[in-house]
Parts: sequence; structure tokens; C-alpha cells
Amino acid sequence: MLEVINVSKSFGGLKAMSDMNLKVEQGEIVSVIGPNGAGKTTLFNLITGVYKPDSGDIRFEGKSLLGKKPDAIVNMGVARTFQNLRLFSNLSILDNARISQHHNYRDKLSWFDCVFRTPRHNRAEAEMVDTALEKLSFFGPRLMSFRLFQPVYVLSYANRRRTEMARAMATGAKMLLLDEPSAGMNPKETREITQIIRRMRDEGGYTILLVEHKMNLVGEISDRVVVLDYGQKIAEGSYKDVINDPIVIEAYLGKRDDKDESEIAKAAAKDGRTV
Amino acid sequence: MKRRGWIPWAVLAAIIAFVLFRVIYLISNQDPGYTRFNAAYFTRAFTEAFTLGSLYALIALGYTMVYGIIRLINFAHGEVFMVGAFCSYFLFTLTPFPLWIAIVLAAFVAYGAARVLELWRGSLKDPLTLTIAALIFALSIYGLSSSKLNFLIALPMSMLLTGVLGILIDKIAYSPLRTAPRNSLLITAIAVSFFLQNVGLLAFTNKQTPYRPDTMLTNSLSFNVAGNEVRSTFLIIAIPLVALLLVVALTLFVTRTRLGKAMRASAQDAEVAQMMGISVDKVIATTFLLGSMLAAAGGAMYGLNFGSLNQPAIMGVLPGIKAFAAAVIGGIGSLPGAVIGAMVIGFSEVFLTAIFPKIPGVFEGISEFKDTFAFALMIIILLFRPSGIVGEDLSEKV
Amino acid sequence: MADTQNAAKNALQHPAAAKIHSNRLRNALLSLVALVIGIFVLRYLGGLGSAKLTQALALFAIWGVATVSLNLINGTLGILSLGHHGFMLIGGYTTALLILSDDARNRIQTSARSQMTDFTLGLSVQNWLHTLGLDRLTTDDTLWVRFLIAILIGGLLAMLFGILVGFPSLRLRGDYLAVVTFGFGEIIRLLASTRIFAPFTNGALGFAGVPGEFGKSIWWTFGFLAITVFFMAKLKYSSYGRAMEAVREDQIAAEAMGINLAYHKVLGFALSAFFAGIAGGLWVSWLANARLDNFAFTLTFFFLVAISLGGTGSITGVLLGTAVVIFVRQYGDPLEESYTIATWLGLIGLLLVLAGIFILIFRNSQRLRPRFHPSIAVMGLGGIVALIIAYLGGAAFWPAFNLNIFQAPTASLAWPWLQDTFRGFGMRAIFLSVLLIVIMIFRPAGIMGRNEFNWAWVFRERRDQPSEEERRQDAWLSNPALNKAAQDPNDQDKGES
Repeated sequence: MLEVINVSKSFGGLKAMSDMNLKVEQGEIVSVIGPNGAGKTTLFNLITGVYKPDSGDIRFEGKSLLGKKPDAIVNMGVARTFQNLRLFSNLSILDNARISQHHNYRDKLSWFDCVFRTPRHNRAEAEMVDTALEKLSFFGPRLMSFRLFQPVYVLSYANRRRTEMARAMATGAKMLLLDEPSAGMNPKETREITQIIRRMRDEGGYTILLVEHKMNLVGEISDRVVVLDYGQKIAEGSYKDVINDPIVIEAYLGKRDDKDESEIAKAAAKDGRTV
Repeated sequence: MKRRGWIPWAVLAAIIAFVLFRVIYLISNQDPGYTRFNAAYFTRAFTEAFTLGSLYALIALGYTMVYGIIRLINFAHGEVFMVGAFCSYFLFTLTPFPLWIAIVLAAFVAYGAARVLELWRGSLKDPLTLTIAALIFALSIYGLSSSKLNFLIALPMSMLLTGVLGILIDKIAYSPLRTAPRNSLLITAIAVSFFLQNVGLLAFTNKQTPYRPDTMLTNSLSFNVAGNEVRSTFLIIAIPLVALLLVVALTLFVTRTRLGKAMRASAQDAEVAQMMGISVDKVIATTFLLGSMLAAAGGAMYGLNFGSLNQPAIMGVLPGIKAFAAAVIGGIGSLPGAVIGAMVIGFSEVFLTAIFPKIPGVFEGISEFKDTFAFALMIIILLFRPSGIVGEDLSEKV
Repeated sequence: MADTQNAAKNALQHPAAAKIHSNRLRNALLSLVALVIGIFVLRYLGGLGSAKLTQALALFAIWGVATVSLNLINGTLGILSLGHHGFMLIGGYTTALLILSDDARNRIQTSARSQMTDFTLGLSVQNWLHTLGLDRLTTDDTLWVRFLIAILIGGLLAMLFGILVGFPSLRLRGDYLAVVTFGFGEIIRLLASTRIFAPFTNGALGFAGVPGEFGKSIWWTFGFLAITVFFMAKLKYSSYGRAMEAVREDQIAAEAMGINLAYHKVLGFALSAFFAGIAGGLWVSWLANARLDNFAFTLTFFFLVAISLGGTGSITGVLLGTAVVIFVRQYGDPLEESYTIATWLGLIGLLLVLAGIFILIFRNSQRLRPRFHPSIAVMGLGGIVALIIAYLGGAAFWPAFNLNIFQAPTASLAWPWLQDTFRGFGMRAIFLSVLLIVIMIFRPAGIMGRNEFNWAWVFRERRDQPSEEERRQDAWLSNPALNKAAQDPNDQDKGES
């Protein structure tokens, strides 16, 4: 579905991404992990058109995303969330979830329709509300009642994360790029968001690429894990394989005498048990 | 994306080539209407442009310093320039003042002087600072209340007074908005600008004011260029010299002193600078002080150069905007950039009228566009090279 | 899969969906009643026959058109635009040229100081009028059609220019963009004074003789205001309006959610400029002349005061702010007359004392420490001293409002300068600029903030407040002790659906 082919990107002298290759199939959940500054968010920015790659190609469903503006890429079916929330914070949840559908109605609905409230406009509005409520219902009733009309800035951090995910889903995208969906959530909420991401794939039919630091979440839902370090892919495979890969351990913990079982796998396993 | 750095230089080269071509054309044309375009004519234009550029540089430095520190386009800076000009005017025409006015003014002057000395000594409570400030206080009372002030004394005094005005503007209008959105700050700056314009109208005059202090700077100076006499005044030397002195002093201050370093640190990141123990409020106040002092010097020089002050409501507007355009062209936030940009604006303004004089020809009416040209140049630079000639990149991070 | 469908169905039947359009009929009826009352009030006020009041009302409507349209860029799109006077100039001059009668134009052209000539290149106003068929509409009965067509053309020309000015907004943001719009506005004004455009604009002199019956008529101006407000309100509460608000909130996120920044920004500029052009047309008609002085940056500044005062982004707030600005502008002339210094001193003292009290209340209500800021003492003491001096100097308090509550004592203080008179020239502008600074410091969002006046607000209906049942449900959701299902890792979904 999504192919990243030999993509490189540098900022000044710093190579943020070099010869990146990544393939995501329809219906997969792929996690991108790596130490801080490894280039995970850069990868997202490259895919969504915020940055232009220096070389290489990015294809979605066979069509190249190169040279396309972020809004055109959303139109093609790739939507994202942001690591440090970028919600429209003075607008309500409902508005947030409706704004992301706006681009779907651009041909069907002109500003003229909007001003004169033509039947077309009323129909489009009703559809938007339906879609918004449907996407918000993934997160249970908590965003659905009075909170629908609350401005986003009064929400809790976890609810903002949920709103942002619902907003991305409402764009009508087929593929979602989730940048640390569980950041700032407590263990219980993390478990819940893990379930929801799985349901987004199973029930919503989304293909999901996510960046995450919480290994228990990654281990639980990922079909595949890609490890980045210094802008390069250093490992790819199932969670178990990747986590025991010495190169990965070195990237996370630095070089040291190997022990039988890697520290990180231990730590992750411990996390998974207790949380 | 590739940076096509050569384009601005190519454009600049093309413009210079065109100007040279036009100059040679005007000089070599033998028609009767063209005889006044000789080397002396263009030498005079050159000195005028250089003088005007220096004036704009003095104003532009204030814009660029304030923008560098608090990211505010200080719309009121043009009005500070106006107030500075009128301040010096009143100091050399209305003196001697009654004693109580002299005391009040001297207090402001002494405070300004203390703030300036603080840059050197590092503290307001320093004994040397206090002593000199007290001395200045006493001398100012005497000077202001006893006799007519010389222009050369009125100039630094008006600079100090205007500097204090700058600090006051910052304290009253801008400092409550440190954390506010930048648009609010900009709107406040516009409001302050209108306030000063109208207060100027109310308190000073609403007419043109002749500005002719008794000083040797306006004595005439003439010299020969290629057999033709160029008549001018000593101002063509004095104004660039004063501007140069002030700019050098400013550069030395910014690079050498502790507060100057604090200022540069705050320009990089005010929040972090604060955490490192720099009093950002003090740095900002200093910035306003210095910027306003330079603007006041510019205002007094402007009055000398043109022999009169326009009415307060419009006097500061055009020079202010042009100086801002200069700061943008040079790269806002950068001190040498402001000087370079000011020279660009000064030269373009003078040479646009010099090489397209009002004689029947192809470009007859083009000199009417000299103000438009400054705006257009600013817009073009902002659109295609927002960092200016030497400035830093200011794009937002994701 | 079945779960999703259920969820979707639940969503549609969810009470929240019904809440969106609740009380629609009631609100529409109330709006209608308010409109009728408004018309009657206007008619009554117009019937009073006070020329000053009529002028002020008409000016309110004209500036209302301008501020509400500027609000689309400044409030909804979140771009600080400072070039509105330029758009108004284009609309205004176009309208003025097209409705100028032949006689008036000939008179201007033959006058000695005129720069207005019959333009070459077949672009002369005469030809334009003929092409558009406007030269036949000269009688009093048909002039309004001509005015209508002229003002629309003016609006459309301004709109073209708005599109042009909109393009920089694609590359720039924030204060740089503000400066570019300001530059564009000034360039329009400077160009209009050059010789190239003098055949149209008559240079800096401008021209008089513009028919004034439209701009001075309450019905015309309020008609245009009603259209503008209707248009802007409907646009704001639609998908396009939300998209523009998203651009205001966060450009990067808006783009990442599929909003075409270029299109929406240029659309905003174009629509705003169109209505600005219309405001310009009404403005020249109100002034009955077209002069460049009347399209200075001051105009945009007053709009900015109105918008910031009322609440950036709120249409009703902006109208409120415009009303205040118009009141100061039209009824503030007592401020600009000559009074003795003592009276001015009294006024200043009063203001200082009031400001001190205001800051004290403000600091208390905001729980700022220290409560008693030194500035309060300075203001209060200074004010009281000024008041005492003024009183002893024989200040006539409130002469402007003919409220001689205080019997002014005869001057007992022998300072002659207290009796000098001083004319408060430009006092209104000073007042408005101080007002703007004060708003920006104490309430940057303006009186209304981003809130709009609406009927739900009148009836105290708050959709964003939970009902009793919703509150219970919410507590159940967020309290782990109540939510047993969530504690059981095997049975996660129970708590959600």
C-alpha cells in the first residue's frame, strides 16, 4: 500500500534520513521504533509532504507522493496525528472532527452553497456530523455527549489524543500515521488505546503505521516492527525478532558485553506483565 | 529544495549595471536639456544618498534590535524618531526653561544617562554610575535653565530624553504583553504609534516647523569634481560620521559588554536566557533605550538635513516605514543588515530621482514612485528572501 | 464488524446529534421578531429628523460593513491584515467615478487645478459608462440602479485586488504578512496619487460632487450591512468557515487535515475585499467626495480598534466595537474643543483615579500579587493632586456634557497658566488609541471574545455543560472503582459500548 523507496533527507549537513526503504501492506499495523532523534517523526513528515525528500520516492497505492502538498496527500488517503498535539484548540471536538472532512466536500460543496444554505449544504452537513460521530464512537461515549461541544483546550490530555485520532480517521483516509498515540496516557489508558488501534484496523479497515515508545503497546499490536537509528533502518521483522537483535540493543543501550538475554527485552517483558 | 543563492546577486548586478548605463547616458548626452548631468551632479547625488542612507540606518537599527529581542515590529519607532526630532528642536529653541521644567527634564536626562552608564559599569547602583548621573543632573539643570543650548549639547540630551521615552513605552504598553500572541503586540504597537502621532499633534504643532539651529554643521562646503563645483554643507560629512560613531559604539556594546552578550543571548532564545540568570526585562529595556536614542539622533540629523520638520502626524510615518523596509531588506534582527538595507533604500530613493529627472523623456514620471519603490522592494524581499540580505532563517518547525 | 455498524447507528441516534440543531424554529422566529423590531427602531430613529443621528447611524452601518469584512481575515482566518483602506479606496473611487454625473465630471475636468483628463487608450470613464449602459441612468428614479451596479463593480475590482494581496499570505505568516498587507494598502494609496492614475483619481486633490443620497440613507447602508452580516455569519458557521478557523488555529495541522491553505486564504481575502469595496463605495457617498486623505491608514486603524474592542472573530462583537468607535468619532467632538488647563487637569485627574481603581479591581479579580501595585498608588495620588489643583483652579467639570453637578468655584489658585485655554485637537484619536492599548493589556480577546451573541446564550442553554445523566455516565467512565469491566483485562470492551 505504502512504499518508501530509497528516501534520503538531510538538513544542512545533518543526514536525517538515508536510504530508507519501507513497505506497508494493506491492513497491516507497522510500528516504527528507535531512540530519540532516530528520524521517526522525520519519516512521517516526509510521507505526509511536510518535508520534501532529497532523493528517492514515496508511493501510495502505486501513485507517487513526491512534490505533493500535505493537503493533496490527505486527499489521496494518508492522514496523520502529531507527536505534540496539533488540535484546533479553540474549536469544539465536533468542529475538529468535521474540519478534517472538509476536503472531501470541496467539489460537491461551494462556499456559495454554504452561504445560502442550499439542500446540498444541509445534506453535506448531516453527513459530516454522522461521520464525525461514527469516528468518535471508536473511543466510547466519553467524547460523544456534552464534550462534543466543548472547546478542545478544556479536555484532558488523553482525550485530546483521542480527538486527534478521531480527527485523522474522519479525513476518510485509508492509512493512518499515528505519532506516539499513547504519549501522556496512564497505563490503563494505554491498554485501552492499544485495543482501539487494533479495532481501527479490524473494524475500521485502516492500515496503520505508528511511532511509539511504549514497548508493550508495540509488542501487542504490531504485525511488523521497523527500527530506525541515525536515519537508517537497522532492523525489521516481528517484535520478538527485532527486540533480540543485537544491533537494536546496541542502538538503544550502547555497546557493551552481551548477556544471554537483552536488557531491553527483559524490561519490555516486565512492563508487559505488570502494567 | 535547492537554494538558488545567485538570483539576488544577479538582480543586484543588473540594477547596478542599469544605473551605471543610465548615468553614463545622461552625462554623455549633448542635448541642451542635459547639460547639468555632469560628474558633479552625480557626486552630489551620491553624497545625498549616503547621508540619507545613514539617517535610515539610525532608525533601522532600532527596528532590527527590537525585532531581534522580542520579535515585535515596533510600529511606534517612526514616532519615536519624530519625538526625538521635536525634542532636540525644543531644546535649542525654547531654552532657557523655567527652573521647574529644567529640573524635571534634567531628572529624565540623568536617568537616561544612568541607564547608558549601566551598559558600561553593569549596574545602576554602581557608585561611579551614580556620581556621573548626579553630575549630569546638576549640569543639565544649569544648562537647561540658564541659556540657549548649543545644538551639539541639545543632541545628546534629546537622545537621552527619547531613550527614556522608549523605556517608558516598553514598560507601559509592551511589557504587560510579553506572553500575549504576537498579533496583540503588533496591534498595541500600532496603537502606540497613533497615540504618539496625535499627542505630537496636540503638544507640538500641526504645521511644518523650520529646523535651523545655530551650528557650524550647516555651513556650506564646496569642492570640485572634474572641473565642476559641488555645493553642499558639512552635513554630508557630519551625518555619516555621527551614524558611523553610533553604529560602532553599538556594535562594541553588543559584542564586548556583559549586557550586550545578554542581549545577544536573549535574541537567540529569551526563555532560556532568563533561565540562565539574564534579566530579560532589563535587556529589553536597554534595547528600547538604545533604539530610541539612535532614532532621536536620526531625528535631529533629519531636521538638520532637510531644514524643517514635517507635522507630527506624518513626520515619522514615511521615514519609519522606509527604515523598516531597510531593516527587512538587510535581514531583520541583524545589525550590519540594517545598515546595508538602509544604504540600499537611501541610494534607491536618491538615484531614482537623480537618474530619472523630470525632463521630457521615456521615464519622465518615474521619480514619483520612489516611496512606492521602497514598499515594493520590501514586499518583494519578504516574499522571496524573507531572511533578507544577511539575516537568519525564521521558518517554523513542525 | 457488527459492532462498528452498531456504533455507527448509535452515533446517528445519539442525543448529541439531536442537540446540534435544537430549538431551531424558536431561534428563527426570535431572529425574525428582532429584525422587525430593528427595522421599526431604525425607522423611528430616522424619523426623528436629527441629521447628526442619521449620519452617525449611516456611518455605523458603513463602517460595520468594513469591520465585519475585515473580521473575516483578522478574526476567522487569523491573519492580521492592515491593508483594508486600500481595498476601500479601490471600491470607493470606482463607485464615485461611475456615479458621478456628467455635469459634475465636466466641471472637475475644466477646473484649473484638475489633473483629471479624458483618459486615452479608450479607457475613459465616459466610454466605460457607455459600455455598461450607465450613462442613460441619470434621473433621480434610476440613479439607484446605477449606484447599485457601480458599487458591485467597485466591490469586484477590490476583490480582484484582494486576490492579488492574498497571494503573499501563502508564503508568509504573522507580522511579516501584516507588514506586507500594510505595504499593499499604502502602495494603492501612493499609486492613486501618481500622475499615471491622476486621470481617474485627480491626484491627491480628489474630487467632490459624488451623489450622497445613498451613503447618507439609513436604509441603503443598513441594507448592505444586513447583507454583509448575513453573508459572513452564514459563511462562518459552515464548512468553509470552520476550515478558515482551522487555518487560524494551526496552519500546519489544517494542511495535514486536507485543507488547501492557498484556496482558503485567497478566498478569505477575496470575499473580505469585495465587501470592503462595497464599504468604500458607501463611504465616498457618505462623504459626498472622493479624496485620498479619507482612505489613509487611520481608517484601518479605527477598524482595528473596533474589532479588538468588540472581540476578534465575533461578528456581533465587532458590530458592538464599531458602535463604540462611531460614538466616539461622531459624538466625541466636545473632547476637541478649547478648555482651560484647569479643566483638562481635572479630566486627567479623574481618569487617573478611575484607572487606579480599575487596576486595583482588576488585580484583585485576577488574584495578582501584590494586590496593591505601586502604579496604583502613583495613579491614585497623582490623580487626586491633579483634581485638587483643578478644583482650586476653577475647573468647569464636565462642561462637555452640560452636567454642572459640581458648582465650579471661582479660581482661588493664582497660577495664571491654569486659566490658559487649550484645544484638544486630535483627542478622539488619542482616546481610541489609549482604549486599544488598554484592551490589549487587560482583555486581549475583546468584550465578546470569540463568542457570538445567540439565542441559546440568552436562554442560558449550554450544550457544552453535562446534564445530570451525562455527568453520572462520565463519572462512571473515568472512575476505575466504578468501572469494574476495565479492570478485567480479558473483557475490555464492556466499558466502552
